[in-house]
Amino acid sequence: MQYVTVDGERRSLSEKLLILSDAAKYDVACTSSGVERRGNGRDMGNCVAAGICHSFSGDGRCISLLKILMTNECVYDCKYCRNRSTSDIPRATFTPEEICTLTMEFYRRNYIEGLFLSSGILRNPDYTMELLFRTLWLLRNRYRFNGYIHVKAIPGADPELIGKTGYLADRMSVNLELPTAEGLRTLAPSKHRKNILTPMRRIQNGIQANRNDLVLYRSAPRFVSGGQSTQMIVGATPESDWQIMNVAESLYRKFDLKRVFYSAFVNVTGDSALPALPGGPPLLREHRLYQADWLLRFYGFRASELLDEKHPFFNVLLDPKEDWAIRNLGQFPVEINRAPLEQLLRVPGIGVNSARRIVAARRSAALTFSDLKKIGVVLKRALYFITCGGRMLYPVKLEEDYIVRNLTDRRDRVRFGSDGMTYRQMSLFDDGVFSRPVRPVEQAQDAVGQL
Amino acid sequence: MLIYVCEDSLEGIFTGIYRAYEEKRDPLDTALSLTDDPVLFAEKTAVEPDGTRAFKVGRTLRRRFGEDDYLRLCQALAAEDERKAQAVYRTVARGLETNCRPGHLFDSLADDNVQTAFSLARGAGREIGHLQGFVRFQELKDRILYAVIGPKNNVLTFLMPHFADRLPGENFVLFDRERNLFGVHPAYREWYLFQGETEEPVLCPTKEEERYRELFRAFIRGIEIQERRNPQLQAKLLPRHFREYMTEFQNAGGQKSAK
Repeated sequence: MQYVTVDGERRSLSEKLLILSDAAKYDVACTSSGVERRGNGRDMGNCVAAGICHSFSGDGRCISLLKILMTNECVYDCKYCRNRSTSDIPRATFTPEEICTLTMEFYRRNYIEGLFLSSGILRNPDYTMELLFRTLWLLRNRYRFNGYIHVKAIPGADPELIGKTGYLADRMSVNLELPTAEGLRTLAPSKHRKNILTPMRRIQNGIQANRNDLVLYRSAPRFVSGGQSTQMIVGATPESDWQIMNVAESLYRKFDLKRVFYSAFVNVTGDSALPALPGGPPLLREHRLYQADWLLRFYGFRASELLDEKHPFFNVLLDPKEDWAIRNLGQFPVEINRAPLEQLLRVPGIGVNSARRIVAARRSAALTFSDLKKIGVVLKRALYFITCGGRMLYPVKLEEDYIVRNLTDRRDRVRFGSDGMTYRQMSLFDDGVFSRPVRPVEQAQDAVGQL
Repeated sequence: MLIYVCEDSLEGIFTGIYRAYEEKRDPLDTALSLTDDPVLFAEKTAVEPDGTRAFKVGRTLRRRFGEDDYLRLCQALAAEDERKAQAVYRTVARGLETNCRPGHLFDSLADDNVQTAFSLARGAGREIGHLQGFVRFQELKDRILYAVIGPKNNVLTFLMPHFADRLPGENFVLFDRERNLFGVHPAYREWYLFQGETEEPVLCPTKEEERYRELFRAFIRGIEIQERRNPQLQAKLLPRHFREYMTEFQNAGGQKSAK
């Protein structure tokens, strides 16, 4: 169980696991979805297309795969990364056998859905990629593991090696790290945009070629059957949401990616080139980017509809879909019993599932608002934008200010009011001393208007 | 109004449906119930569960509504809810009457019974989805894997195929503590269920077991980002009633940890 590290130190397996899972935790691309593979009746493991979450960590993120680095030794000195070569942290390296044993034993106990293997750059990209390949080969062929494997392609490694690894993995990813080439130049001087995009393109071509093979030969080996993904760090460099969304959109279009992940920047190195984040990582911004990402992939939106040069950032109080709807009130209200699916998808409060259910259910009966509630539509948000049988739920002014006031969270509005800005009329005694506490009835009136 | 009082099982309720069709009842004037509660102006008949009849109903439902919707009906019947028999019966009756195509049984969600059956199935389905991830096996002597679950719905039947497909070469046992039901899978053979005795078995885990548990806990600790700590979100995604049986929320002694 012991393994000699580069500096001759001996570490136990649990120490290594702690160091190398800690080092991998900032990588967010760890879903187990995209592949449906039944067990073969002999080897351990299968894959479920929807992915399975096996646990949730204290930060509320899904733990699906055994997410570890092969090693946290690294020759690069990227300023945002904890494992940069100049950083003084404990270093460790797994042997391929250790990774295989851990994966198999965790998988048997249903702790994990598979393996997520990334790595720092040990010696050079080729050497590191070779190690990753050897681990995967052992796991698939010696340990006969049939579950999910996600592996990183190391930028700058031999294309043939990446290709060979792709036949053993279910998903591959190359991290874009920062949304623009400029940001990459300032924070990760040894990485180049070109080196990152080249393997991405290769994997894409590999998947495409493999698809053609599979049409001809059904039992041809599958190359990265779960597609490839990437991640971008948000908030380390001054890009706007608009720039990020455009990058994401072109990645989906041109590189055929399955997922783009956004990772709110956490300043772990304290480098002077990085922004200090006194309010913690930009989690709301990350959340808004994911919401918009979903709109791109499942709701038929284009990035240019959500943001433009004049509005380069997402609204803090409204989600991107609400924001879009408010700016395009001309397209509303939408008639539930008539509107096509694409139009239903654009209504805030109606998701993909509810939209499909509406289309199916209205064939047999005219839907009413109470039916919509049962179907799963969030009426609280949708009611300003829809009609059932030509009627709205109750008389609503189709006016931006009115709707925004009602859509925003009550808590946000209290915060809004606390710095002196309110919607209540000024009165003669308005200096705080004479003001009485707000009664619940009035609060409710604030929330739903004078009804 | 005629009420068929069925046993609370797939077999019992399917037999009830069979009887209702055998006796050519009008679905609007017939009900299936699991309890013997008195109802005004209603006649009651007890239904004996019958394997062959239930099988025939299952076969018909599968043929008429397709594999997916049949699975949904079964999941609705696995739910712990008294309305399930009536909701499934009416849903099936409606589907047969309107001659709906396979995969479209649950389309008419404006109908209350269909909606009830649908949401019961969804509830049970969600719990199955959760447990596929949250089940934690421990290794006992002779390399037997053993896991305890305490689900709200009767979902053991749906979990077994998943794990049998995933771990074909393992001897494993899934124990539903709420219903005292065991699911047993001998390596490379078919799985089966059996009703347990009153006493819970005494376990003797292997020596390696504690080591892997500790490794897994170390992994869970390592993976958390302190700056993003959000226990509320965690509790939403991983409800607390599951944690009693999960390794990462237990201390070294196997006790439930304070966190």
